[in-house]
Amino acid sequence: MSNLYGDFNQKIDYVFKIVLIGDSAVGKSQLLARFSRNEFSLDSKATIGVEFQTKTIVIDHKTVKAQIWDTAGQERYRAVTSAYYRGAVGAMLVYDMTKRQSFDHIARWLEELRGHADKNIVIMLIGNKSDLGTLRAVPTEDAKEFAQRENLFFMETSALEATNVETAFITVLTEIYRIVSKKALTANEEAESGKSALLKGTKIVVPGQEPESEGSKYSCCRSS
Amino acid sequence: MRIDFLQSANLANGRRIGGSVAATDPRPSLVGKESNFSDICATDLSLLGLEKGPRDKQHENYGLCCPETMMSNSTNNSNSNSSHREDDRKESNSTLTGVDSRFNQTLRNVQGLLKGRSFPGKVLITRRSDPISDSGLRSPDIDRSFSDKDAGTSEQLDDSVVDEIQSNSKTNSSSTVNKSRSLTVNTESTSKESQKSTMGARATDSARLTKFTKALSGSTVILEKMRELAWSGVPSYLRPTVWRLLLGYAPPNSDRREGVLRRKRVEYLDCVAQYYDVPDTERTDEEVTMLRQIAVDCPRTVPDVSFFQQAEVQKSLERILYTWAIRHPASGYVQGINDLATPFLVVFLSEYLEGSVDNWSISDLPLEKISNIEADCYWCLSKLLDGMQDHYTFAQPGIQRLVFKLKELVRRIDEPVSRHMEEQGLEFLQFAFRWFNCLLIREIPFNLVTRLWDTYLAEGDALPDFLVYIFASFLLTWSDKLQKLDFQEMVMFLQHLPTQNWTHLELEMVLSRAYMWHTMFNSSPSHLAS
Repeated sequence: MSNLYGDFNQKIDYVFKIVLIGDSAVGKSQLLARFSRNEFSLDSKATIGVEFQTKTIVIDHKTVKAQIWDTAGQERYRAVTSAYYRGAVGAMLVYDMTKRQSFDHIARWLEELRGHADKNIVIMLIGNKSDLGTLRAVPTEDAKEFAQRENLFFMETSALEATNVETAFITVLTEIYRIVSKKALTANEEAESGKSALLKGTKIVVPGQEPESEGSKYSCCRSS
Repeated sequence: MRIDFLQSANLANGRRIGGSVAATDPRPSLVGKESNFSDICATDLSLLGLEKGPRDKQHENYGLCCPETMMSNSTNNSNSNSSHREDDRKESNSTLTGVDSRFNQTLRNVQGLLKGRSFPGKVLITRRSDPISDSGLRSPDIDRSFSDKDAGTSEQLDDSVVDEIQSNSKTNSSSTVNKSRSLTVNTESTSKESQKSTMGARATDSARLTKFTKALSGSTVILEKMRELAWSGVPSYLRPTVWRLLLGYAPPNSDRREGVLRRKRVEYLDCVAQYYDVPDTERTDEEVTMLRQIAVDCPRTVPDVSFFQQAEVQKSLERILYTWAIRHPASGYVQGINDLATPFLVVFLSEYLEGSVDNWSISDLPLEKISNIEADCYWCLSKLLDGMQDHYTFAQPGIQRLVFKLKELVRRIDEPVSRHMEEQGLEFLQFAFRWFNCLLIREIPFNLVTRLWDTYLAEGDALPDFLVYIFASFLLTWSDKLQKLDFQEMVMFLQHLPTQNWTHLELEMVLSRAYMWHTMFNSSPSHLAS
C-alpha cells in the first residue's frame, strides 16, 4: 500500500474535506461538476440536502484527495447541511456576481461557517458566473475588500467557461496542505481492520484541532 | 407480482405456503393470512429470498423477463395484452428519429444562445426524450382501444395466474403467451412465464380494468376497495379520477363530486388572486424571498423532460407552489416540493393531452382547462403534504425520524450491509434525506413515478411509515454491490443510483418486497424490537 507509483490503489497522502456553501442557484453544484469531472450541465436540478464528489490531485509530490460536500442553498436546509461543516478544513463560499443579494448574504454564511467548522478552516470567497460580465451586480472591488477584511481568499470564476475553477480549488487545497504539513505532525498508527487498503493507513493529528469523532472518521487530515 | 414472489418461495419450499396465496389480488390475499405468513417468514427467511443466495437467484429469475428479451419478439405478439410494454417500446423506436432531431434542435438552440463562446470540457444536456415508454402517459384513447381489443384474447388474467400457482399446470391462455415468447425464452417453468406476463401488463390487464370500472361506477366509491385495487397500479386513463378520490379531494359520493370539484377550483382561483396576483410591494420580505426561491426552482424542475421547460407550465407550477407555501406558513416552500407537484401535473394533464408527454404543448389547452388542472394539482399536493407536515418544517424532524426508522429496519433485514455501512462511517442521512424529501422522484426515471405514486396514494395516511419499507427495499436492491464499496464510493453510488434503464419490472420488485417486509415486521413487532 505504500507503493507510490504502483497499481490501481493509488497511495493517498491526505484526505481534505471541503464544503461548498452559498445561496440557491449561484452555481455551487456546477463549480463542483467542473472541478471534479470537467463537466457543465445546462439543466441541473436544485441540490437537496448534500451531494458528494471527490477529486484527487498532486501537491508537492503528495497525493491529496479532496472530499467535497456540495450543500443545498435554501435556508431551510441549513439545519441539515451545517452538520457537514464539522471536520471540514476548507470551504468555498459562493455568490452569483449577477445577483447582489447572494453577495449580501455572504456575511451570514460566513458566520454560520465559523460557528460550525474548525477554527483553522481555509475559506475561499467565489464570485461565480463571470461569463455573464454584462450583468455584473457585484463589483470586484467590493468582494475583494470584503475578502481582505475577513481574511478570505477571493476569486471570480465561471463554471460554464471553466475560468478559474480549478485554480480556486487548488489554491484552497494547497493552502490546507501548507498548513497541515507545516505543523508538527504526530503520526500514529491506526489499528484498523478495514478491508480497504485504500483507506488504511496513518492518521495525522494536527495539534490544535479537535480529534475527529465517530461520524467523520473518513474526513479530513488523514493519510493512507 | 407479490404472488410471484411468494410463488418462488413456494417452489423452493415444497409448497409449504401454497394454500395461503389463493386470491386474485395479492394484497388482500395476504391480509387474511397475516399471522400464518409471518410465522413462515420467521422461520424460513431464506426460502423467501431474504438471505443472500436465494435473493440473488430471484434477481436472476426476474432477469429473465428483461426488456431486451421481450423486445426481440415484439412483432409476434402485438395483439397480446402482455405485449403492452413492447408496444411502448416500438412507439419509442419509431419516434427515435424525431427524438434525435428534437435533441439536435435543442442543442442548436443552446449553441445559438451561447454563440461565440467556446466551452472547455463536456457540456451536458440531458436528452429530453427518454421517458416515452410510460403506460402512465399514454393517451386515453390508446388505452381504451387497447383494452377493448384485448378483452378475451390471449391475455393473462390475474385469476389464471393464481390458478397456475395452485395447479402449476399450463392453461390455455398461458400457452398462447408462451408460444409468442418461446422464440427467445426457454420456458423453464410455467410459473416464470406467468410472472412475466403479470408484471408486464398489470395495470392494463382487462380483469383489473373491469374491477376498477365497477368500483368507480357505483353511486358511492368504497375507498377501501379502491385502495386495494390501486395499490398494484392504476390504469393510466383512470388515474386522474382514482387519485382525486384516494387523496380525499373528490368525494366518494358521485352525486356530490362535480359540485365539490367546481367549488374547490373556484376557491383555488380566489387564492391565486388573493396571494399570487399581487404586486411585490404588498408582500412581506419573507414572501418575496419565498417567491424568488420558487421562481429559481421552477425552471430546474424535472429539467430532463422538455414539457416542463414550457414557460406556461413553469408559471402554473409557480402559482401552485406559492399559493401552497403561503397557506402553509409552518413550513413554507421547501426545495423538493416542486418535484412533488410534477406527478399531479402530468396526470391531470393526461386527461386532455394525448400521446407522449414529450409531445405535449400546454398552449393547446384553453385557459379554463389549465386553471382546472392547476387547481386539482394544488389540492392534491395539499392533501398529500397534509400527511407529512413535519417533513418540511424547521430542521425537518419528520424526515429525520423516518431516516432513523429506515436505518433500524435495514439493520433488521440485512445485518451484513448495515454493519458494512456503519463500519465505513456512512450515515443514512447522507443519501436517504433526498429520498424522503422528494419521495424518490429524483431516484427513478420520471416515467415510472406515476406508477410508484399509485401505491403511495393507496397507502393514504399510512404512507410515511410505508415509505420506510419501500426505501429499505429500494436500498437493498444493491445490497451485494454496497458491501463491496468503501465510504466514498458508497456515497457517490447512492447519490447516483443506476436506475436510468429501470422499467416497471424493477419497480414492482421493490414494491412487492416492501409489502412483504411490511407484512412481516408490522404484524410481528418483535422482529423489530429484538
